[in-house]
Amino acid sequence: MIALVDCNSFYASCEQVFRPDLWGKPVVVLSNNDGCVIAANKEAKALTDIPMFEPVFKIKKLLLENQVIFFSSNYTLYGEMSQRVMNTLKLFSPQVEIYSIDESFIDLANMKFIDLNTHGHQIKNTVLRHTGLPVGVGIAPTKVLAKLANSMSKKITGYDHVCVLDTAEKCIKALQKAELKDVWGIGKQHRKRLNNQGIFSAYEFAYDVSLAWVRKNMTVVGERIWRELRGESCLTLAMLPKAKKAIGTAKSFGKKLTDLGMIEEACAYYIAEVSEVLRNQNSCAQYIQVFLQTNYHSDRDAQYSKSVTVTLSTATNDTYILTREAKKALQTIYKPGYRYKKVGVNLSGLIPQEYVQTNIFEQEITKDRRQLMRTVDKLNQKYGKSTVCSALVGNRISEWELVKNDRSPRYTTQWTELLKIDSEYL
Amino acid sequence: MEFEELYKIKTPDEVHQAGTSKQTGFPSPATHYLESTIDLNSILTSNRDATFFIRISGNGWKAYNILNQDVLIIDRAAVAKPGKLALVVKAGSFKIERLTAASAKKDELTVWGVVTYIIHSV
Repeated sequence: MIALVDCNSFYASCEQVFRPDLWGKPVVVLSNNDGCVIAANKEAKALTDIPMFEPVFKIKKLLLENQVIFFSSNYTLYGEMSQRVMNTLKLFSPQVEIYSIDESFIDLANMKFIDLNTHGHQIKNTVLRHTGLPVGVGIAPTKVLAKLANSMSKKITGYDHVCVLDTAEKCIKALQKAELKDVWGIGKQHRKRLNNQGIFSAYEFAYDVSLAWVRKNMTVVGERIWRELRGESCLTLAMLPKAKKAIGTAKSFGKKLTDLGMIEEACAYYIAEVSEVLRNQNSCAQYIQVFLQTNYHSDRDAQYSKSVTVTLSTATNDTYILTREAKKALQTIYKPGYRYKKVGVNLSGLIPQEYVQTNIFEQEITKDRRQLMRTVDKLNQKYGKSTVCSALVGNRISEWELVKNDRSPRYTTQWTELLKIDSEYL
Repeated sequence: MEFEELYKIKTPDEVHQAGTSKQTGFPSPATHYLESTIDLNSILTSNRDATFFIRISGNGWKAYNILNQDVLIIDRAAVAKPGKLALVVKAGSFKIERLTAASAKKDELTVWGVVTYIIHSV
């Protein structure tokens, strides 16, 4: 049996753990540059139809009118709270696959003599007690069914956030209740095609559609989902996190920038950020993409956006080589006279560090150079981001960086930002 | 293969552990008595994933020996037994309280976590 545990409106819940004054109140979390709503708790969802991924300036009035509390995203906090949840889950099984920041699969294959419903409630209650975060638990014979059980655990109030599909009858009942859109991995296109065939419920997909049809129209991916819905396990637990295939970052500036120098500084700053991630997973990038854009929401400004991708002569994760290449690339796409909103970098074609093919015309990245990068990373981890950085990053970060006004304190990672409680407050 | 080994120049280990003798000299008499240095983190936070630090401002909880700017270690996994000092939530705000047999029955009180240590800077 496999359990899927996921946190209920995770980002908003993380904020609420430390803010009892907001318990039971509508809370939303905004994207990295306060651009749009990326998460809402159930109170916020119930109150009003908050359009996700809509620019905040368009719905600010709606949020204020409904007294919705909003936070800038605090990924430091969410990442740390996520680790606490995942570690707590390891108390229940050594086999835990971290699927995303707020979801994990747990292998319960060796738990033969326990009552799964009790076990599911125990998982839920322990995570809540240890971390303060509410979770839902779905338990079923396969991953796809566990995902379905999980979504039912939330929809049907009687389940109290734990749903166990441990018999064939229960699985079939669940499939009959579930629509195609509730099934993990069936996209819009396939749904349309199935609807055209008269297939609307998950049950109809699993038992009325032939394997041959699924194979022909939905490839092996669809076949696995079909089999998993019928209780045949095809997807195994991935215990090791997958290395990323591309890493990028792009954030809006605090104000529109016209000066190339300032944009270069922002670009160098992002390169330092992403190349550190690259080194942490021991991979090197073969391509670097840089893009630049004006504010397309503004009618007054002249619009321009351009992106360029450069193939590196040798794959690398060296901040200084990448900074140099990014700067060159940026200069080719920059045009004066525009008010720029955002610069972004994207490192792709990632390969393991040890597989890098060196170029005979170029010197191999020396051991010293790697040591230098390791030292830079260590210093920055110890003394804070960009304590040591390339001179191109400059010291005008405060002039271009967007300040997140509504970010909560980093309660669990910064000694100076601990949860503060006033003993004299009555 | 074994012949090649002869030509290899051995470089000394980079890590030299204090308390062990290398190459020459009398072996340290402490060798068999080495223990790891006291680590407050492991002693004061027995359940790391359920432990949180909070800072108190003001002297309102002097009666519990909690003073202005003290940091409290809160263990959410610890059992909230009567007699324990706890961080509780009452009417939407945090309070520090000594739990009693009666407090478990109070609906308006939620125990957030048990206070396990007070860190006081002098």
